[in-house]
Amino acid sequence: MVLDMDPLFLAWSYFRRRKFQTCSELCSEILEKSPYDQAAWSLKTRALTEIVYVDEVDVDQEGIAEMMLDDHAIAQVARPGTSLKLPGTSQGGGPSPAVRPVTHAGRPITGFVRPSTQSGRPGTMEQAIKTPRTAHTARPVSSASGRYVRLGTASMLTSPDGPFINLSRLNLAKYAQKPNLSKALFEYIFHHENDVKNALELAALSTEHAQFKDWWWKVQLGKCYYRLGLLREAEKQFKSALKQQDMVDTFLFLTKVYIRLDQPLAALNLLKQGLDVFPREVTLLTGIARIYEEMNNITSATEYYKEVLKQDNTHVEAIACIGSNHFYTDQPEIALRFYRRLLQMGVYNCQLYNNLGLCCFYAQQYDMTLSSFERALSLAANDEEVADVWYNLGHVAIGIGDSNLAYQCFKLALANNNDHAEAYNNLAVLELRKGRIEQVRFFSGYLYGILCMFRLN
Amino acid sequence: MAEEEEAVAAARETSLQLPVSTDYKRPRSKKVQELPILERRNWLIHLHYIQKDYETCKAIIKEQLQEAQGTCEYAVYVQALIFRLEGKIQESLELFQTCAILNPQSSDNLKQVARSLFLLGKHKAAIEVYNDAAKLNQDWEICHNLGVCYMYLKDFKNASEQLNYALQLNKHDITFIMLGKMHMLEGDTDKAIEVYKKAVEFSPENTELLTTLGLLYLKLGIYQKAFEHLGNALTYDPSNYKAILAAGSMMQTHGDFDVAMTKYRVAAYSVPESPPLWNNIGMCFFGKKKYVAAISCLKRANYLAPFDWKILYNLGLVHLTMQQYASAFHFLSAAINLQPKMGELYVLLAVALTNLEDIENAKRSYEQAVSLELFNPLVNLNYAILLYNQGDKKGALQQYQEMERRVNKIKESSNNTEFDPEMIEMAQKMGAALQVGENLVWTKPAKDMKSKQRNTSSSKPLTLQQPLGSNQALGQAMSSAAGYSKSIQLSTGGSRQKPPSLPLEPDVCTDANTGESSFTPEVKDK
Repeated sequence: MVLDMDPLFLAWSYFRRRKFQTCSELCSEILEKSPYDQAAWSLKTRALTEIVYVDEVDVDQEGIAEMMLDDHAIAQVARPGTSLKLPGTSQGGGPSPAVRPVTHAGRPITGFVRPSTQSGRPGTMEQAIKTPRTAHTARPVSSASGRYVRLGTASMLTSPDGPFINLSRLNLAKYAQKPNLSKALFEYIFHHENDVKNALELAALSTEHAQFKDWWWKVQLGKCYYRLGLLREAEKQFKSALKQQDMVDTFLFLTKVYIRLDQPLAALNLLKQGLDVFPREVTLLTGIARIYEEMNNITSATEYYKEVLKQDNTHVEAIACIGSNHFYTDQPEIALRFYRRLLQMGVYNCQLYNNLGLCCFYAQQYDMTLSSFERALSLAANDEEVADVWYNLGHVAIGIGDSNLAYQCFKLALANNNDHAEAYNNLAVLELRKGRIEQVRFFSGYLYGILCMFRLN
Repeated sequence: MAEEEEAVAAARETSLQLPVSTDYKRPRSKKVQELPILERRNWLIHLHYIQKDYETCKAIIKEQLQEAQGTCEYAVYVQALIFRLEGKIQESLELFQTCAILNPQSSDNLKQVARSLFLLGKHKAAIEVYNDAAKLNQDWEICHNLGVCYMYLKDFKNASEQLNYALQLNKHDITFIMLGKMHMLEGDTDKAIEVYKKAVEFSPENTELLTTLGLLYLKLGIYQKAFEHLGNALTYDPSNYKAILAAGSMMQTHGDFDVAMTKYRVAAYSVPESPPLWNNIGMCFFGKKKYVAAISCLKRANYLAPFDWKILYNLGLVHLTMQQYASAFHFLSAAINLQPKMGELYVLLAVALTNLEDIENAKRSYEQAVSLELFNPLVNLNYAILLYNQGDKKGALQQYQEMERRVNKIKESSNNTEFDPEMIEMAQKMGAALQVGENLVWTKPAKDMKSKQRNTSSSKPLTLQQPLGSNQALGQAMSSAAGYSKSIQLSTGGSRQKPPSLPLEPDVCTDANTGESSFTPEVKDK
């Protein structure tokens, strides 16, 4: 006779082993037998939440709607150095745009793609909508419509016989009384159902029940307010939570609020306060470095990235950013060392080999240059990447004075990505050197078209 | 192109301001009796125009023209001016022509028609219209513009006539500048200097005039005067980029690197992205023997101007000095790709190749250099040394004699040429080694020949004691050749004096660079 394990214990075990699907199925079985089993119910909510859980702290991209209907901005025209909205108001420290290329939005290219690297806002609603949604410039219409909606529908798929918990019939006041259930339920509503309104209601009732002494509920309230765009309320909640309990998460959430409010200096201050409480915390240091980078203050950003590396010497973002910074400040040899480190850590992709190739060329290690680029080409995942590699090869060709090769490289870049503005520009320059004015007109016509499309500055 | 635009912009400014104010008065005074109603809103149009409120201005003009059925001259005139500001030259030309039909007696209208034609590049048509205008009213502006038109048509005789006439009527800096430019186009530097001298007398505080005059003197090699004028320019405007660059490169030529650096520091604030500036800074460091900094600066210059062979030349030179021959080879070959007609580049390439032990190609490179460079004795000397080291005494002798011939030629042409002492010494050694030392061409008396010969023969142990840097194995492998090849670099370094002063004409590269702003390699996000 086989001794059956206690199903609830088994479910727990599945949960701990991160087999959430099996865990939730097992819980369903238990709940069928005894519908009022609170332990099973709570476990199931947690399992379902874990399936779709996304770390809220991670930067999310501002959508067009949030951007344009933003009434939190303090000053229409911010002073230089106090805003993230104005690209190109460098506070010194960074190389000029002629030395370090910029993104389509006018920010210096960073060493690491993250959702906010495209920021730099378009000036008007019209401009924002006109901006084409190519791979480079994609910006969701609103942040609430993109990821969150998909998560919501995902929850419907996992349970074919309707939602697990029918929110409209839930007596939130009753659940708010039970602290052991309410937290799991909140996370379920917030992450799985993506129903911010109900989540907010539950959080409000619970924090009241806890007599405003539980910092966790305040953070959750703040998250709800943030999601709803009520930034000032969110700020209040986070601040109050911080008074009770210092948490890294709370600092990061509050930073997010300040960044959304376009107050980078306040965000920096806050993160530095956080560092006093949690000395050398990597996430806080990274946050500071990112803000400095967004503000075009590359020197300070690099300092903080170096601090990050002291704590966590496998931090990919920090290594990549420091590497690219060295490259653009005329130290390709040092950049090469950082990129080699990335290679040792197992990063293996087109971009890295491309960077290695460029560094090798500018550090005059000619033997490695072309093989790196070859590998980059073979690893390229899409046409845009191929185009970028050819574009860089064009520069190598110019570096060795072979303008025919350069011409062909730029042409190949265009063949792979026909709105590569830089390639058009460089082709026009090459034609100008040959003295073929007609061709120059042709290319600059294209270039002008693309610039209009992107509304560059 | 850039010059042209500059001139156009400058001339446009002058030609724009005059007609507006006169036109404003003209309709009021003349036409008030005939068409009182049509002209009544001219003041409003004028007001909006000078406030640059073009949208409102256009709206009023439209109303006015509807009322007057297109016969209101002033409204059409201002509309045309606005079109021109918006870059719609063709439309503005048509409207100005309408103006000229409405009021054929006004020279202002004709001037504007001609101006539009000029902007469209139809110089001949512009000249005709200007001539018509001149019949109505002769003034400075017409003469000046006629001169400019003739200049672009390469009719320098008429151009200088008109420009001089303009100067007689009224003296303006812009006319002086155009006249000077015209003389430069003609290739007549002396006349250009005369013109600029007069111009400087007329307005002694115009830094552009002072700088240009200084640069002209520099071109002629009259350093004292050049320095004087550049210095004057710098006293009036201490951050004048062109003047700083020119003055700095002069100091550099005299080995005054620290002073030059302080000058460049000022310029680097105002123009941080100028390739010639970074090139000169790099060569300053080179002169101070700070090679790493020199390479860094030169590389930045190369990054900003990838097509400038002078920068590549300097990079090659610095790498040769650093004994990084492979890198030097790459930079020099890139330079040769961009500028295939320069003998000195081939010499440097050959030196790099010799050190890379590719003797065959080095010889070919020397051959090329000898065929391209017809006056420089250095080329032959270096070639002779290479051949001698390879044991080809006959070939070496031939090259040596060729060198002597060239030296004599230079001596004949000018009396006070000074040769690089290092080169003289090297040539003497060489002559001794080839046993032709008796008929020396140098001014030095051929005393203690014997001791010199001893020097050459004992050069082998000497080189071994010298620190050879990173490629020690290579250096040691070379026998007495090392003694020569080491000094070859230095003797080619005799031509080092040239590169820093090469890029000192700052306006040479402005042209190509304007379109190249994004000509920078990108390291992609990852």
